[in-house]
Amino acid sequence: MGIDIGKFLKNPEFEILITTYRDIFQVEALERDRFGEDYKKLSAVITMSKNDMQKMGFKSGDRVKLSNNYGSVVVEVKESKKNEPGGLAFMINSPWSNILISGETDGKGIPEFKHITAKISLSKEEITPVTEITFHK
Amino acid sequence: MFTCTGCALLCDDIEAIVENNRIKETRNTCRRGSARMKGAMFRLVPSIDQKPADFESSIKKAAEILRNSTSPMLFGLDNSTCEAQVKGIQLAKKINAIMDDTSSFCQGLLIEKILQKKLRTCSLDDIRNKADVLVYWGSDAQDSQPRHLSRFSYFPRGESRQRGYEEDRLAIAIDVRESNTAKICKGHFYRIPLKGDREFILALMEALSGKAPAYDTKNMLGLASILKKAEFGAIFVGIGLTYSIKNDFEILTELADMLPKFNIMPMVGHYNMRGFNEALFKETGFVNRVKFEGKAVHENKYAIIEALKNKSIDALVVVGSDPVLSLPRSVIAHLPSIPVVCIDPCQTFTSKIAAVNIPCAASGVESAGSAVRMDGKVIGLKKIIENNYLTDEDILKRLMEAV
Amino acid sequence: MVTVMEIYQLLPKTNCKKCGESTCMAFAVSLLGRKKKVVECTPLLEENFKAQKEKLESLLLPSAGAEETGMIVHTELCTGCGNCVVACPVDVANDPHGAGMGCAPTNDKVIFKVVDGKVLASNIKECRRFGKSKVLCYACIDPCPTGAIEFV
Repeated sequence: MGIDIGKFLKNPEFEILITTYRDIFQVEALERDRFGEDYKKLSAVITMSKNDMQKMGFKSGDRVKLSNNYGSVVVEVKESKKNEPGGLAFMINSPWSNILISGETDGKGIPEFKHITAKISLSKEEITPVTEITFHK
Repeated sequence: MFTCTGCALLCDDIEAIVENNRIKETRNTCRRGSARMKGAMFRLVPSIDQKPADFESSIKKAAEILRNSTSPMLFGLDNSTCEAQVKGIQLAKKINAIMDDTSSFCQGLLIEKILQKKLRTCSLDDIRNKADVLVYWGSDAQDSQPRHLSRFSYFPRGESRQRGYEEDRLAIAIDVRESNTAKICKGHFYRIPLKGDREFILALMEALSGKAPAYDTKNMLGLASILKKAEFGAIFVGIGLTYSIKNDFEILTELADMLPKFNIMPMVGHYNMRGFNEALFKETGFVNRVKFEGKAVHENKYAIIEALKNKSIDALVVVGSDPVLSLPRSVIAHLPSIPVVCIDPCQTFTSKIAAVNIPCAASGVESAGSAVRMDGKVIGLKKIIENNYLTDEDILKRLMEAV
Repeated sequence: MVTVMEIYQLLPKTNCKKCGESTCMAFAVSLLGRKKKVVECTPLLEENFKAQKEKLESLLLPSAGAEETGMIVHTELCTGCGNCVVACPVDVANDPHGAGMGCAPTNDKVIFKVVDGKVLASNIKECRRFGKSKVLCYACIDPCPTGAIEFV
């Protein structure tokens, strides 16, 4: 048994595996106003199983920072309403998930949009504004 | 009746109530389609260097950018009519541009296999009339092509499926998550681990050939027996599956060979992505990633992802697409340093960094034309609202005259 | 059954009088009594009240004729996919070549229609849960993955 370092830190960090998906309500918001609050609210979210949330000490509505070699982003964490076995977290495909996508493609032109590994920890920062992701002012 | 451009189902049974030259109400569209047809809140306005400009100056400036470019790329056209796509290809040929579209990092590989007739396919009408076993694989049609199950696959009565879905049809979902589509497939949802599709296919092939696979033996034998009994089956391939097996596409061909009663249907998002693939295929023999240089050359380095990573393009024309929104942040870093010409009905993240913006009519609402449904059927688009916006086809034509 | 207070809580509560009533509470009473429509409250049509407006509409929907079968459509959950339109046995019987085949309804005898991307129920007396020979039918609930249709 190793020592659970996380226990002794104020803000433990966990490794997670994330996949992306599509959501009709988010696409509706995109069609209407991709710069708007609705689109951000529906996009800047990570959904996790009840078990994983408990294990990591998160509550629905907490803000979390996700980071890996490609970037970092602050989003809201939500507990999945479905009976998820855990071990896999979900983000709706959006500029927020795109921050974490590797550009490595083996020269084949298709990034790993549905396979993200990242570190996750509670964050006090605001949800990353879209302007920070997409260069525009 | 109008046609919805919300997704590649191109539902052509839509009613629209127009008031003050805007669509006030839609009937029969799904939630996605309704938002699409009503249009975005912020229209694109002509601009140069993010400052308002008149339309003519924007065209002139765009042409100047293309003239000064040694390696331009034309990207998008998946949300354009077939007529605009043909114009786009002509422009790319004229200026020796690289041409690519969203299918490059989406369903391009799959559509190529279908156009090359390496995978058996059928029409959505065949599915409605005949299909008894439906497999949604890495595809959440309920959220991406919301009327797929109600118009064509599971719920409607068809010629040889008159008794309703409970008796006549069986729907299966294979996915990494319990999507809305998987919920409908209730007792026939196979949850697989992320990137587990290849292993699942191999086990299924074993089961189909009569051996008991080590992987999830009981379920796999059950699934194989359902598939074997099918009279007319369809596998709806979503990007979940395409992304998962991308380096090993032959495995899908091999599975299809073992299932002679099944047809493969690419689940396409953008309303005319298949139209773009077909048009370019007809012209060059390739569905995307082409460079015109006298002849058409196809290479992976002409994929938008690779071209941006390698900084190998020095100007980008984007038509009806938003790469700044849809590409990985690590890939788009090169974009702000090259001149971008954005042609779109509405403001996008890409238009916010574009050197030139040229607004166009929203096809299927403000202009007519045709488009190719996900199954290859050509569907007409009608004009619902009358206004002065030029079509993207017209704009591409103007650009071609001006370069 | 929805109460006046539930309706009132979802209104802007500014007493702006644009609806013709003297207060938002009076408007809530009129809404409940079907004397006014939600859209007559013009501030509610603004973008920031969108969620409240949809909630109100879904709260008020059942009494629009559905209360006797107890059907409630939660518009805010509905994706407009039309599965219920096609799966409803009444719709199939009354419109076999339209709704029954997965297409847009071709007549007004169907129970379900999709308007603005959300389902709207009418002709509720045709519902199999209604009347003398009523049956406990689940045909519209089963194909709905978001739980947008409920019977209470």
